Amino acid sequence: MATARSALTSALCYRDPKAALRWLEEAFGFELVMLIEDAEGNLAHSEMKFGDSLVMIGNEWTAQHRSPASIEGLNTQSLHVHLAESDIDAHCARARAAGAEILMEPSDQFYGDRTYRCRDLEGHFWTVGQTVRAVSREEAESATGLKIEGWI
Amino acid sequence: MSAKVLVALRIKASPQRVFEVFTDDIAAWWRPNALFSFTPRSPGVLAFEDGEGGGRRLVERLPTGKVFEIGPVRVWEPGQRLVFGWRQASFAPGMDTEVDVRFEAVGEETRITVEHRGWETVPTEHVARHRFPDAVFLRRHGEWWQALLAELSKAATSG
Repeated sequence: MATARSALTSALCYRDPKAALRWLEEAFGFELVMLIEDAEGNLAHSEMKFGDSLVMIGNEWTAQHRSPASIEGLNTQSLHVHLAESDIDAHCARARAAGAEILMEPSDQFYGDRTYRCRDLEGHFWTVGQTVRAVSREEAESATGLKIEGWI
Repeated sequence: MSAKVLVALRIKASPQRVFEVFTDDIAAWWRPNALFSFTPRSPGVLAFEDGEGGGRRLVERLPTGKVFEIGPVRVWEPGQRLVFGWRQASFAPGMDTEVDVRFEAVGEETRITVEHRGWETVPTEHVARHRFPDAVFLRRHGEWWQALLAELSKAATSG
């Protein structure tokens, strides 16, 4: 393998994957690292990078692979973007300017992250978070009443 | 339209530096790939050199002493853009591909983008394709370019 991959990578379906590549760069700052087109100029495969991770952007390549835009906005997943350096409020403003539908404005969570949620140009759900405060397991348990295992 | 593969990488060096290493030091960072060798006598040593008639060209100097022209340089804009032809010895007339390299400053880094296009001129059944379906062939070729850019990055950021 030519480049190191993280252990998990999502592959998303879009009706117009080339428009999605442009949108994801403009909205989220993802960078295109691989694009394959056939003789007709159709996208065959593509990968975008953000931080140390990749996401694959493809078309609706079988009858069972559909964009939310083709199935009344339904999703079976949401993708999470975790910011290491950039400011999350500025990130949200950038996504909004690119046309993201902001479903939840940036707000501080009990577990120490500040997050927002949005829907992209074809209806995929994205959450974006940034750790702004260290929270202990005890503090998180008392804040929520939940029993928590595996807290790092 | 053109069957193509595009790969990109961030390199911690200026566009001028990355361009210079790409062109002047290609012998140092280039890694041959047995699947995609230029001639049956490859690998040799790659170099951008002055061709006959004034223009530049990319060549492979083979162990036999022969020089194989991979392709003429079509755009030479130091620090910005480099375009050159790319053919293997087995290509028939009319088969030709082209490599378009862009060097773009992003802060203190360079985003280098390689677009290798024109593969629709090489039929799937041609020996250079190894009977790979279109997408598989282009992906393997793209992975080679990713490996090459990783070597270029190492060369551009050392010393």
